[in-house]
Amino acid sequence: MKSIKIVFIVLVALSMTTSYAQLKNQSSEYVKILGNCDMCKSTIEKAGTIENEAKVDWDKDTKMATLTYDSVKTSKEDILKRIALVGYDSESFLAPDDTYLNLPSCCQYERADQVSAKRDGLKSDMAFMDHSEHSNRINEVQGTNPLSGVYDSYFVVKDALVRTDGVLASTNAKTLLNAINEVKMDQLSMGVHMLWMKVLKNLKEDASKIADTKVIGQQRSNFDSLSKNIYEVMKVSKQESPTYYQFCPMANNGKGANWLSKEETIKNPYYGSQMMSCGKTVETIEE
Amino acid sequence: MNKKIKWLIVFIGMLSIPILFAQNIVRYDLTVTDTIVNYSGKEKRAIAVNGLIPMPTLTFTEGDIAEIVVHNKLKESTSLHWHGLYLPNKEDGVPYLTQMPIEPNETFTYRFPIIQNGTHWYHSHSGLQEQIGMYGSLILLKKDDDPTFRRGIDDVPEAPIILSEWTDIDPENVHRMLHNANDWAAIKKGTVQSYSEAIKAGYFKTKLGNEWKRMLAMDVSDVYYEKFLINGQNECKLSQFKAGEKVRLRISNGGASSYFWLNYAGGKMTVVANDGNDVEPVDVDRLIIGVSETYDVIVSIPNENTSYEFLATPEDRTKSASIYLGNGIIQLKSRMPKLKYFEGMKMMNDMMNMDGTMDDMGMDMSLQKMDMNTVMYPEISGDPDMKMDGMKMDEKMDHSKHSTNTVQDLVTLNYGMLKSPFPTTLPKDAPVRELRFELTGNMNRYVWSMDNKVLSESDKILIKKGENVRITLYNGSMMRHPMHLHGHDFRVLNGQDEYAPLKNVLDIMPMETDTIEFLANAEGDWFFHCHILYHMMAGMNRVFSYENQAPNPYLPNKEWAYKKLQAESNTFHFMAENDFATNGNDGMLMMQNTRWSIGTEWRLGYHDEHGYETETHIGRYIGRNQWLMPFVGFDWRYREQNGEVEKNLFGQTNTKDQRAVLSLGTEYTLPMLVKLQGEIFSDGNVRFQLMREDIPISPRIRWAFMVNTDKEYMTGLKYIVTRNMGISTHYDSDMGVGFGATISY
Repeated sequence: MKSIKIVFIVLVALSMTTSYAQLKNQSSEYVKILGNCDMCKSTIEKAGTIENEAKVDWDKDTKMATLTYDSVKTSKEDILKRIALVGYDSESFLAPDDTYLNLPSCCQYERADQVSAKRDGLKSDMAFMDHSEHSNRINEVQGTNPLSGVYDSYFVVKDALVRTDGVLASTNAKTLLNAINEVKMDQLSMGVHMLWMKVLKNLKEDASKIADTKVIGQQRSNFDSLSKNIYEVMKVSKQESPTYYQFCPMANNGKGANWLSKEETIKNPYYGSQMMSCGKTVETIEE
Repeated sequence: MNKKIKWLIVFIGMLSIPILFAQNIVRYDLTVTDTIVNYSGKEKRAIAVNGLIPMPTLTFTEGDIAEIVVHNKLKESTSLHWHGLYLPNKEDGVPYLTQMPIEPNETFTYRFPIIQNGTHWYHSHSGLQEQIGMYGSLILLKKDDDPTFRRGIDDVPEAPIILSEWTDIDPENVHRMLHNANDWAAIKKGTVQSYSEAIKAGYFKTKLGNEWKRMLAMDVSDVYYEKFLINGQNECKLSQFKAGEKVRLRISNGGASSYFWLNYAGGKMTVVANDGNDVEPVDVDRLIIGVSETYDVIVSIPNENTSYEFLATPEDRTKSASIYLGNGIIQLKSRMPKLKYFEGMKMMNDMMNMDGTMDDMGMDMSLQKMDMNTVMYPEISGDPDMKMDGMKMDEKMDHSKHSTNTVQDLVTLNYGMLKSPFPTTLPKDAPVRELRFELTGNMNRYVWSMDNKVLSESDKILIKKGENVRITLYNGSMMRHPMHLHGHDFRVLNGQDEYAPLKNVLDIMPMETDTIEFLANAEGDWFFHCHILYHMMAGMNRVFSYENQAPNPYLPNKEWAYKKLQAESNTFHFMAENDFATNGNDGMLMMQNTRWSIGTEWRLGYHDEHGYETETHIGRYIGRNQWLMPFVGFDWRYREQNGEVEKNLFGQTNTKDQRAVLSLGTEYTLPMLVKLQGEIFSDGNVRFQLMREDIPISPRIRWAFMVNTDKEYMTGLKYIVTRNMGISTHYDSDMGVGFGATISY
């Protein structure tokens, strides 16, 4: 009786090990998957392999993979799709572009020509058009408004804060400081000139404080008063396109804070990605 | 009855004969049958029409007369609603509101002129049939000589797309489980948001704050679905489209409760219509389509020998469905990353007042412009766990920065961007009726209502033909709601002034306020409801009824029918549980509807010394949060204890040997979701009790405790194994330590 039990246990144990080694309804395929290095190998194999369902073995020299899988549970397509979704092209699937671009640089294998060449062309055409329009506008503004340099640099400081990039914000604030110093005050109209003189000291102070640190929190606390002063100036000076005065009630420890933006869509410089769309436009400053 | 209808049809037929020559009658025969499907590897019941799921796509041209003959071969009644269509009220297809249900083996003919164009859909309005197959596309084409015909939009190749979802659990059961706060769906989705998960992710305080404010873990959707489907399949291909071609996708969301994100691998999508109404083309990277909304988008096929993935991802991002456009190697679209639930919880905590109302912090939200859920989107707020090893850190950082920057510039559609190509203003001289509704809800008990009243607590809202009805909606609940109005399109006042877009479904997010208006120009009784099927069945409905309307020949007794309609969305839900433990049986049985709760608990020992006891409570939930429940009760217990007398904390005595008493009491939900119960019994004894049964320790472990002034106490742990089974251990002051299996329904 006892020995039967033991035999039984041994049999069960044996069958378990075999079931690991051999998949049920096993099929095999030999397919090409693009990739470069050992890092690619581990990413590809990890994405493709599912225990008791599919196994992938990829060779970085030949770029060929052996897919072994249970043909009832899954298919070659399923496996190749999973692999494409982590960034690797094959005969059936092209990886999403952003996923490919996010691969470590050593893994950015050469893709086949067909991959989205046309589409990129289309896109960059559009982007180009947008940009040219945009820059034209800026040039015009520069021609007419002695403060446009200040405004433009203010917006790039804001954009850096939206990206939560303290280093960039600091560099951009230096540019802003220069722009403030270079304003040709003799070209300002009377009302604007008066106001400019009033806020000039504070503007310089806030801009240099942002330039002097790379700590995003400190930059943001100075950005609030910087924005208020720029807003005061902008309200009386000339503008070529509308600017949006925006407000986030949660910033500044719940006291709220303002900023200016060229676009109506909220992109919050006080929180960045944490609360990108928090806020609302409180005033539109027209031309 | 039948004869009358026949005569009527003959009569209408005779009347319409002269028109027949001018108008084209398009007839469809639809046979509704039970069927067995296998979407997930398991065979389940579903409903097919002409053998198909989704139901066949019906196509008409503006000016046609639609004649749709429904043959009901089910063992239950059915109906078909033509979603978004202007039609005579009696053809609208809402049982007990515009017609009697189509009974088994009955044939019913819907017949109405097509007086509009656009992408619409149709579905059953009976019970939960829509969840198991009864949805289909309904395409109304423009006439070639239509003055609004747009070259490059109305004449490009097109395809109907209908989105839906499949659950292996019978929808009636899904509905019941939702009302019982059963968190099996959350376990399956990995969204329990338990204490152990909170601690691991560094959000312990957030979780505590959440429960302190008496909230259960939140999700963006409540039901676990095995599969998501596009045109009835998880993956399919439309290979007829050629490179360089533009394709118009006519997309309807026929899902019962899922919002879908739409993304395309072949570049931007151009939105050209919404809810069957043209809008000025707008390019977007992605959009979310609310339950029952329709969008028409134009996409292009950039390359030869490539097939581009059009990806539909449910809002909870658990899975997705794909359709590939074009022929050749498949260009995939990246999957949407998992939601950061604890960030969402943190945001909710900030917005929630202690009294259960919400505080928008003065942000005046509307029109989907500020999606508070953005805090949960890793593609916008950055990936929390960078999975890479430290080796290439600098490089990696650059990459991630790069990707977040590009992603931040994603254009997501919102209602503010929709603009009608022509003015949609209402008649200026018409009287205006202003209405305001607050959308209200209670997640814990799955009660969904308007102004804290469900349909069965509200009369029809009377409006007059010829007046402009302006409705302001505020969503004071924690979930978004797609509000749908039958028989009319309304203007959404979105800042486009006279070009405000026309819609028939308005998605409204928590804390948003939106205003819609429409001209009351179609006599009848029209449903206005949340289109999430389970919210509708919970009573989040109203009826707009035109004053002095002509009788509806299909519904002779309207008062009686309205009572039937009201009752349908306030049914009792049954729940039962028993723990078969070594020291006895512990269990309960409960029946609840929107306001009432009838429940019995028992503790049955295996011998007389341990005793037997039951407590029955009949109570009514009070207030919008339903934290308060006064009740009457009846307690019975028997225990052999040789006359031993027990004293409670107040010095009152009772023997517990044999006791049968009535009681009056109140239950109140305290912060941390602890239930405080105070009860006075007919023998003069008083008892207070604190209890909580479902503290989520880990995704599958729940902790329970109870303590009362009779010096009884209990504590226990339960491990949830399956939907209906758990393993438990508890210690009870009466019965000692026990281990057992819990069976629940």
